[in-house]
Amino acid sequence: MKVLGIDLGSREVKIVLMEDHTIIQQQKMSTMNFYKNYCIYDKTLKVDIEKLGIKDYEKGISTGYGRNNTDLNTFKAINEIKAHVYGAKYQTQLEEFILLDIGGQDIKIMKVEKGVMTDLELNEKCAASCGRYLENMASVLEISVEELSHYYKEPITLNSTCAVFSESELIGKIAEGVSLEKLCAGVNYSLYQRLRPMLTKFKGNDLVISGGVAYNKGVLEYLKQDYNKIIQLKEPQYNGAIGCCYYGIKYA
Amino acid sequence: MKKIGITTTVPIEVLIAANYQPIDLNNVFVTSSNYQEYIEIAEREGFPKSSCAWIKGIYGVCIKEDINEIIGVMEGDCSNTKSLLEVLSLKGIKIHSFSFPHSHSLEDVTNEIQKFMKRFHVEETSVEKIRIQLKGVREKAKKIDELTYKENKVSGFENHLYQISLSDCNGNVESFEQALDDFIKQAQSREKNCKSLRLAYIGVPPMTADLYDYVENYDAQFVYNEVQREFAFPRYDQANTIFEQYYDYTYPYENDYRLAELKKEISKRKIDAIIHYTQAFCHRAIEDIYLKNKLDIPILHIEGDKINTLDARTKLRIEAFLDMILDTKGVKNESIRN
Ligand code: SF4
Repeated sequence: MKVLGIDLGSREVKIVLMEDHTIIQQQKMSTMNFYKNYCIYDKTLKVDIEKLGIKDYEKGISTGYGRNNTDLNTFKAINEIKAHVYGAKYQTQLEEFILLDIGGQDIKIMKVEKGVMTDLELNEKCAASCGRYLENMASVLEISVEELSHYYKEPITLNSTCAVFSESELIGKIAEGVSLEKLCAGVNYSLYQRLRPMLTKFKGNDLVISGGVAYNKGVLEYLKQDYNKIIQLKEPQYNGAIGCCYYGIKYA
Repeated sequence: MKKIGITTTVPIEVLIAANYQPIDLNNVFVTSSNYQEYIEIAEREGFPKSSCAWIKGIYGVCIKEDINEIIGVMEGDCSNTKSLLEVLSLKGIKIHSFSFPHSHSLEDVTNEIQKFMKRFHVEETSVEKIRIQLKGVREKAKKIDELTYKENKVSGFENHLYQISLSDCNGNVESFEQALDDFIKQAQSREKNCKSLRLAYIGVPPMTADLYDYVENYDAQFVYNEVQREFAFPRYDQANTIFEQYYDYTYPYENDYRLAELKKEISKRKIDAIIHYTQAFCHRAIEDIYLKNKLDIPILHIEGDKINTLDARTKLRIEAFLDMILDTKGVKNESIRN
């Protein structure tokens, strides 16, 4: 059976096609591009599947940001939290874990026990600990997000709790002649520090990380201090879409 | 009849035999429209912010409602009760204590109840008479329970309400029995109302009774109220004496004993998942670890504090939890979206 999962993120749309528990196709694009070039609005939102290069599928499941955006016609919309938990279950085969999803604009933390979500925390109001923050800081430093993500040793302290004020603080540090390595480590450390109070309620052994920030080695390095095991998903950015497929195969 | 306040279930047979009218202070507290005022009274007196709302509520009720005699359970229930009683004694309230002994031996339970009878100057024979008289009420509570889990005609909240009321029989056995009769009659004539998910409510009775209605929005219902049912002594007919009856009570004793009963009911009632409620600042939250370890069924732990309605975060957690359990039951629940 072929199942198509679409995760309509606030900034990127992720599409995964699975056949019998195996991913056979995956792609992502900006949300803007998706709505502009692959969707038609005709009372309900229709996706031009063929244009996406997908030939056939039996079931379509969607999830994503904002209640109304997820209602693609012919797709069954599922709760975003659930999609991520299912994605992580598929990718790790674990039944007990804490899932930290850091996307471009929001953070979700979910506790999974006996395969079921039992606790969660959402942060949708502040960008200071999301991917967007790292992008902004990388652009101030005129390096790529990829490069920024490598550093964790000797971080300089950035005190500001706000994403906007952090930028000027960072510029101040540049002016003081601090090395790029320490600046980058400082940026990663500040993100970690903002995550920490959210994570204190979610202590546990295994921390699974999804979302774009899962690629950030610096942040992972810091998180290692707090958990016995950090599990980086193979496809952290596609986790929600994979979860949709998992749901489609198992339950829909 | 003189009124006497109780902080949790105690052998009311003894109190009734002694011509007292027992009043469960918890019920007075939580059903009051200005329950917050009771908490306020306690906090103004100096009860710490970081103490349980039940304890503060009971204190407030005693002061505000002119309760001048009270029984506190010193062992097997709340470790804060001892201090509560001390503070109440400062206010000139007459205090008595009762214990459900840790040892949980029939001998020790017998001892405790005998002490209790002595304190209230009643003989075993008159206590037994009341026990037999109360069998009718207990049988009716059991019937209501069956109407909940077997016939699906009584809602989880109604079940909760009637079971819990057996701690003091609403202060008047005769009129309470009549109320039970009326309710049973009315419930029997209802249509069955079956939901897809069958849930158990375990732990202390909630501050947040809206939980029951909230859950029913999601094609789920509580068909088991653990502690409330224990308050009603559902196995009363297996006991030959008052001592045996209070020996066969799960909640105040060790968790393994409680677990055996829990497991039995979970399978008998075909429970899909459990919501475990504890109160903020209560040692019972730690028990969650033990219960989760020993029970092979999904458990959602929620915690209440000083407000008698569920907060938004807890609602979201319940919703997502039920949603996933419904998936495993093969039910497509359209009501849950982002
Ligand atoms: S909920 Fe816990 S702390 Fe509060 S009164 Fe009951 S046993 Fe005591």
